[in-house]
Amino acid sequence: MNIGYLCTYTPKELIDAAGFTPVRIFAGDDQISLATAYIQSYACSQARGSFERALKGELDVQAVVFTRCCDTLMRLADIWERNTDMKVYNLEFPSRIDEESKDYYFRELQDFVNILKEWGGDVTVDSLRESLKLYWELEEKLKKLFEVKPDYEAAKKVQEMNVRDAIEFVDRRLRKVEKSGVGPKVLITGSVCPFLEVYKLFEEAGLLLKDDICTGTRFFTYNTPLKEIESVEDGLRFLVEKYFNKAPCPTKHFPNDDRFNYILELAKDCDGVVFLLLKFCEPHFYDYPQLKEKLEEMGKKVLLLELEFPIASYEQLRTRIEAFYEVIA
Amino acid sequence: MLFGGTDVGSLTAQAVLLEDSKIVGYRNIRVLPNPVESAKKVMGELLEEIGVNQDEVVIFSTGYGREKLVEAGFAREHVSEISCHGRGAFWLNSAIRTIIDIGGQDAKVVRIDENGNLTNFVMNDKCAAGTGRFLEIQAKALGLTLDELGDMTFRASNPVAITARCSIYAETEVLHYMQRRFAKEDIAAGVNRSMAERIYYLARRVGVEREVTLTGGVAKNRGVKQELEKILGVKFVDLGVDPQIVGALGAAIFAMEKYGGE
Repeated sequence: MNIGYLCTYTPKELIDAAGFTPVRIFAGDDQISLATAYIQSYACSQARGSFERALKGELDVQAVVFTRCCDTLMRLADIWERNTDMKVYNLEFPSRIDEESKDYYFRELQDFVNILKEWGGDVTVDSLRESLKLYWELEEKLKKLFEVKPDYEAAKKVQEMNVRDAIEFVDRRLRKVEKSGVGPKVLITGSVCPFLEVYKLFEEAGLLLKDDICTGTRFFTYNTPLKEIESVEDGLRFLVEKYFNKAPCPTKHFPNDDRFNYILELAKDCDGVVFLLLKFCEPHFYDYPQLKEKLEEMGKKVLLLELEFPIASYEQLRTRIEAFYEVIA
Repeated sequence: MLFGGTDVGSLTAQAVLLEDSKIVGYRNIRVLPNPVESAKKVMGELLEEIGVNQDEVVIFSTGYGREKLVEAGFAREHVSEISCHGRGAFWLNSAIRTIIDIGGQDAKVVRIDENGNLTNFVMNDKCAAGTGRFLEIQAKALGLTLDELGDMTFRASNPVAITARCSIYAETEVLHYMQRRFAKEDIAAGVNRSMAERIYYLARRVGVEREVTLTGGVAKNRGVKQELEKILGVKFVDLGVDPQIVGALGAAIFAMEKYGGE
């Protein structure tokens, strides 16, 4: 069984350990039409576009797991449950990331293990140990690949594969990858962007990329070294640490401003920062004015690009990206 | 050596020729469906008019399809129209720091520094509201030419308020005022003012530093120009050329700066 998910805070390791394949759901290339009857047009097009694919029967997933990230995805879970044949589960990932919420998330993971069991998948200490190791391996390899040259096509593809195939896929890419050339470097920051042409526009303009994108490095940046586990409970505790320390996203609240610090640190060796934001994405847009101000104080040039999926006009994006190159070069 | 620039927009295309740092000619046409054909046509007509061969000219392209013109071997290089507007305006008047360019479907505010280099810019990205297309739609609804629409601001006594952001809904509003027999002058003046307000929101995002100039087709609308000056609190500097050719001129200047030493 394939289990779909939309958010990188979904514990894929548990799904894999239960014998299922976690498959990330992206918006598709077709214009959104059917989903418009269920979700208003001023909701983000990642949510609408993903649901469009579900309604059209394009998704080979039998269940979908949602995490409590943004309002739109929370409500999308309800809409999905009522209007498709897929099983739907809401994993309550705490919004506030601190010591007190760790126990809560641990219990959520325990509940999720039981749900997976109801769905016919058994998480054992051995299966969990293996899945933890495999995902760690995949993440390390993707990191290595991106250090040589960001490969957004690989990053996207592996999110739709079984982790074992994904590791092999990245291995093949690692054998072929060549270091990127020289040029001004920009940090692109935002939620998801599965439309690979967008990254190509940056490359064609002569820009080197570094990213803070949910379908890019935020998918594989976790900051918790692999640990040997003695029990399933051990494994769940490890997952709590892993997901609490992952590359932070604006849907979460961090007591120490982790999110801003993370972006400012990433931006240090970049010549400019491009906000690649999906229209109506509240968590990202709420941060934008302050973050922009801080980046400009650091002397970084900032560009805001608003996207709507599927992307209708690449030429308009190209003009902005080329002009931004001319600003920073 | 001659240097040329072509700028293809959504509605019109321009070509400019430079020789010895002087504009020797320019041309402005309505676009063809294919941007490459538009650029070739407008430059071809200009070359014929001046009486030079294309191989005597180094051409830089900007606007839509600019990279295709390079691929086709027609232009030597391409530059984004944002940089071209900055460079064109600065070359004409080095006191310029802000360029507001309103074309057929794009509106942009471009900031440059004391050396004419691009420092910041913003473009409309929602829809065609706040662009030349908006004015075309409203002028048609009012049964006016674009020039007449612009002049109405100076004949109106009590401009109406156009509140819709969307061009289509704004047209409905215009029709509604017409049915209620409001004076055409007042409705047209309201259209010009609402256009200026849209640009004002855009300009505020990058800030407006003096001196400021208005380029693009909409710069020829006297009504919008006056409303925009009022709302921004600035007086636009006249660059002394057709405001629609500034992008193409910028491309020609880039060509001259890069290949002028050859």
